Amino acid sequence: MTESCLTDYMYILLFMVGGCLAVFLPFVIAYYLRPKTTEYVRSFQAYECGVTPFNQMWDYRFGVSYYLYALIFLAFDVDVLYLFPVATVYNTDVVSKIRGISELFIFIGILSLAIIYAWVKGVFKWERKIKS
Amino acid sequence: MEQIIKFIQTYSLLRMLLAFCCLIGIIFANAIVMGYLERKIAARIQRRWGPMEVGLQGWLQMILDGVKILSKQLIVPKDANRFLFRLAPLLCFTPVAMVFVALPISRSLYGINLNIGLIYIIAMGSINVFSILIAGWSSNNKYSLFGAMRSVAQNIAYEVPILLSLLAVVLTTSTFDLQEIVKAQSGPIWFVLYPNLFVAFVIYLIAGCAETNRAPFDLPEAESELTAGYHTEYSGFAFGLFAIAEYGNLFIMASIATIMFLGGWNGPFGFLSGPVMGAIWFLSKVFILMLTMMWVRWTYPRVRFDQLMNLAWKYLIPFSLVNLLITALVVKII
Repeated sequence: MTESCLTDYMYILLFMVGGCLAVFLPFVIAYYLRPKTTEYVRSFQAYECGVTPFNQMWDYRFGVSYYLYALIFLAFDVDVLYLFPVATVYNTDVVSKIRGISELFIFIGILSLAIIYAWVKGVFKWERKIKS
Repeated sequence: MEQIIKFIQTYSLLRMLLAFCCLIGIIFANAIVMGYLERKIAARIQRRWGPMEVGLQGWLQMILDGVKILSKQLIVPKDANRFLFRLAPLLCFTPVAMVFVALPISRSLYGINLNIGLIYIIAMGSINVFSILIAGWSSNNKYSLFGAMRSVAQNIAYEVPILLSLLAVVLTTSTFDLQEIVKAQSGPIWFVLYPNLFVAFVIYLIAGCAETNRAPFDLPEAESELTAGYHTEYSGFAFGLFAIAEYGNLFIMASIATIMFLGGWNGPFGFLSGPVMGAIWFLSKVFILMLTMMWVRWTYPRVRFDQLMNLAWKYLIPFSLVNLLITALVVKII
């Protein structure tokens, strides 16, 4: 690991810590500037257009489609990550023409099977998945 | 001028602090300028005047709004998870600051030049999803939760076309170093003029529009159905931070499009791309792109959620996969 590499990481560390501090400071200012007398019982309720809220938020359900989309994303995005190291050497002389093209086609072909499978299985259709 | 540059190069700690102050300043200034432009342009598109009272054409309005937002009470709802609720705005802003350090604004004006700059920026850009999920979950509000769920689904869906369209450029240049990618376009032809990379550029713009949660893809904060989405419960400066981070993300999106496709700090035909003029070219390209996004936002109606997800999975991802294969063929054969 060279010295310039370490300097780069020091920059990143500075921006991580400093970025947090730079936005924490205005909160401190806001704490001293805020009005202190306007507190009602209803100030601390969850906002629901003025109606007194009932139940917690986790009593409500959202569609199972979100979960399915997350699953395809997981299968897909990790595979796309493997393409990144390939992309750096692809255009060099290390990889011959035939080998490079055929391997990339096979990899992306298998990758796109994930989408075709999900499409055929009806993941992209938004209807009631569970019949009650 | 020469002496100043030499002085800064000798004292690297000073350079570090200077870079930090300037870049944080750029983020806040960008939010103020873009907020003003957004209000003014939105108003003119809708045949209104927009802010007119404070200063000439109301240019001081955003600064006054900033002061006002600082002096507001910070309310944490009583059912909320207090730690996560406070963590979310910080988590929203910090990755934006961390991305800005790696952007090459001109040939010699940049924070750092990483050899994995592109991967670093993509990785930091996707931390945004966590902050949205934490904000929506911790505030214990139904609108926030639904907004956060939509936002996460949308962000992860549109990350794949962004990766694939940027990969097409990396296949051509075979490096992740942003300075090297810009230098590869220093000839008369920018990457956007190649037909296959032009398709990648269009895909990137559409996906970037969705990634930054802007209309016509602003489902997470659809005002008419979810009040304000994941930041419904946030008040005062915490709300302001989400807005600042949103404009910061817009800037990052536009500058990556500029670096990868529009030639970065290169002038047209390599014209006047020195250290100073390069920064002016870069910033003007970024601002043209951002104004285009703004124009799109106030022109088109919002899409439905299933249309949004299907646009990503049925159209953009297959198209970008095919485009990647075509690029691979073009790169190896020609």
